[in-house]
Amino acid sequence: MHIIGNLSIYLALALSVYALIIFILGIYKQDQRLVDSGKAATLAVFILTSIAMFLMLILLGTSQFQFEYVASYTSTDLPLVYKLAALWAGNSGSLLLWTFFLTMYTVMVAYSKKLKNNPMVPYISSILLGNTIFFYIILGFVTKPFGLLDFVPQEGRGLNPMLQDPGMILHPVTLYLGYVGFAVPFAFAITALILKTTDAFWLRMTRRWTIIAWCFLTLGNVIGGWWAYLELGWGGYWAWDPVENASFMPWLTATAYLHSVMIQERKGMLKVWNISLIILTYALTIFGTFLVRSGVLTSVHAFGDTNIGSYFLIFLALVVIFSLYVLMSRYHLLKQDNGQFESLLSKESSFLVNNLILVGGTFAVFWGTIFPLVSEAVRGYKVTVGIPFFNAVMSPILLGLIFVMAICPLIAWQRSTVKNLRDNFLVPAIISIVIAGLLVGLGMRAAYPILAYGLISFMLLTHLLEIYRGINARRKVTKEAYPIALYRLMVRNRRRYGGYIIHFGIGLMAIGIVGSAFDQETMQTVPKGETIEIQDYVLTYEYLAQRREGVNDVVFANIHVQKGGKDIGYIQPERLFFANWEEPHTQVAVHSTLREDLYVVLSGWESDERATFVIKVNPLVQWVWIGSYVLVIGSIFAVWPGKYGNITPRYKGPKRKVS
Amino acid sequence: MKKVLLVMTLLFAFIAAPVHVVHGDGHNLDNFDYKSQEFKEIASQFMCLCGCGQDHFECNMQGCGLNDSFKAEIREMMDDGLGKDEIKDYYLNMYGEEILTAPERRGFSLVAWVLPFVALGGAGTGVFFVVRKWIAEGKGVEQIEANSADKDETEDEIVKSIIDEERKKYY
Repeated sequence: MHIIGNLSIYLALALSVYALIIFILGIYKQDQRLVDSGKAATLAVFILTSIAMFLMLILLGTSQFQFEYVASYTSTDLPLVYKLAALWAGNSGSLLLWTFFLTMYTVMVAYSKKLKNNPMVPYISSILLGNTIFFYIILGFVTKPFGLLDFVPQEGRGLNPMLQDPGMILHPVTLYLGYVGFAVPFAFAITALILKTTDAFWLRMTRRWTIIAWCFLTLGNVIGGWWAYLELGWGGYWAWDPVENASFMPWLTATAYLHSVMIQERKGMLKVWNISLIILTYALTIFGTFLVRSGVLTSVHAFGDTNIGSYFLIFLALVVIFSLYVLMSRYHLLKQDNGQFESLLSKESSFLVNNLILVGGTFAVFWGTIFPLVSEAVRGYKVTVGIPFFNAVMSPILLGLIFVMAICPLIAWQRSTVKNLRDNFLVPAIISIVIAGLLVGLGMRAAYPILAYGLISFMLLTHLLEIYRGINARRKVTKEAYPIALYRLMVRNRRRYGGYIIHFGIGLMAIGIVGSAFDQETMQTVPKGETIEIQDYVLTYEYLAQRREGVNDVVFANIHVQKGGKDIGYIQPERLFFANWEEPHTQVAVHSTLREDLYVVLSGWESDERATFVIKVNPLVQWVWIGSYVLVIGSIFAVWPGKYGNITPRYKGPKRKVS
Repeated sequence: MKKVLLVMTLLFAFIAAPVHVVHGDGHNLDNFDYKSQEFKEIASQFMCLCGCGQDHFECNMQGCGLNDSFKAEIREMMDDGLGKDEIKDYYLNMYGEEILTAPERRGFSLVAWVLPFVALGGAGTGVFFVVRKWIAEGKGVEQIEANSADKDETEDEIVKSIIDEERKKYY
């Protein structure tokens, strides 16, 4: 096993280097045989990576503790699903997973039917292979997944209890699929530059890739939030932790990119900007990995047991320098824009404002994240830049973004007139103001939430109006029934309406995010039979008990819950004591409704069975998760290969003998 | 008489003193609500330095002695009538700015707060002038192109898609 594992790693490294060289030679000599050999080597690298990964899964699943990685992250009593999920619990395993995705994507591009006979393929494959080589150098020489111990321990150290959660199965995988996914449009962009093809071909070809990667990154972030919410016991889902910021930044720039490409596709403008955005997005994914694995900033996510952060920093520098060199060397070609702007009041301008806000937001998050290091460099000490800073700085920026989201769909291309604005925005604006007024009437006094809900309503209403107008326009010609008109309208322009569904999802998430700021909390110590009241909830602490789950002990409290005099049932917050882990673990009990979450933590207890509970009422949190489902549905809808508008773009760049 | 008064004062002080019951985890089990809004406003200003990465209000790390003593101290200060800013100044003098969960809004730290908005404002101004330049450059072309203002893009697309459908029926 040890030999097969290591052999697959080193052979894959050697083949990656071979494939890169042979691709470059094939391009240089314009020899298709060499390029084909490179493609075959790419496939071999993917097969070897798969072997290494499945071998590691077998080792983890069968508790082969002679392997350092297996002993470090698993134990015999761990459920099989978490034994397997330990693949991404440590540095080397998670990098192996990363490499697996990367080689899989490389093969998908190299053997893509849509890219058959396309001269871009060897270039794209070479760029992706450059990335693969870096990861294999790390796996082969820095953090080896198949390293053996000098002895065979009886038992492994086990998996951190916080990682023994369904979130652990989904969060890292989705995040990596997102991170690695951006390597593909990045490689296309650099290839387009090298080949001096300045049209929108590469944008159209990578549209699906980018949306899928973006969707996975969004899911990764949301699942991370959901996991934190249920697992960490502090009742929040986003703490502006440096590593959370690191995955939020590429999300912001990728979102900007997904919007600005429309201007290039439609008007042939913003070529430099779009390429810069995708370079920035990919660079930020590497920066995020650097942050997680370097330990330069305090984070709850840090792997921090090796010095591989410095390797990622070097890799990041190489990627940025190479990309900027290629970009600058083709700058004169990209500057030859053929479109023009007609008015400041146009859809084009609103896209630019959207990009400005998203990139400005990225800078704000970046600045806040690195400011502790700036402070240390300037003043000799690190300050903390935490939740209060990010909430204060990002709230107006994100509100601005929602406003632009409201404007974008209804504003006309090229030029809008006052009549256009009045027709499109007057009714939604009036209704939004009424909603904001109602909130004030209902007793809401804080300015930000009122403004936020007003803007969210405005955004949702403008989208509804746009869809309604689309249906009416269709019905004018076809006389179809409303549902049929809606269906046909949407499937005939999946990109646009998929985008609107995503906007709806964002709106729902925003409702939850703003609402959850109105949380209420109490911590009380009560004897058995006593009640705790919070808002209109009455919680009666009935008893404390203990049960055994495998080798672990679980202490739980049985609590009867009533709301407004109505019986809701029982909830059981728990404290888990692990046989193989020193620290006990809190298992939160959540009673969730669309209106609010009742969130109960068993904080401690005494020998006389008095127990201390932290109880929170978190309004509207469910909407954050519901919004993310809608967002995923929108993404799937947008990339679904329907029969309308599903045309493979035609390559018009320079011809080559190799493809 | 003085002795009696002294004994009575001591007795009263003893009775009136808050009773702290601490359980195995080190949490206080008396009636003070360490999760109250009032306490949150004060305690969430300070970073717990035990390595949990959370503030002193949220820190729930098992056996974090630092957090327990910090909370007790904050509570004492609250009992003594000290306000949010006074307590902040107290810890700021003792530990420096490192103890805060967000940089101060003065001195060099002000840069942290201001720079994102300055950058956004600067970039916004830049975009405004660039777009204005583009509009000026495109003025000549504008005359030639059809007036597309107010043209309903959705309607246009629908008509095109229906024409396509009809065409497919016959070809």
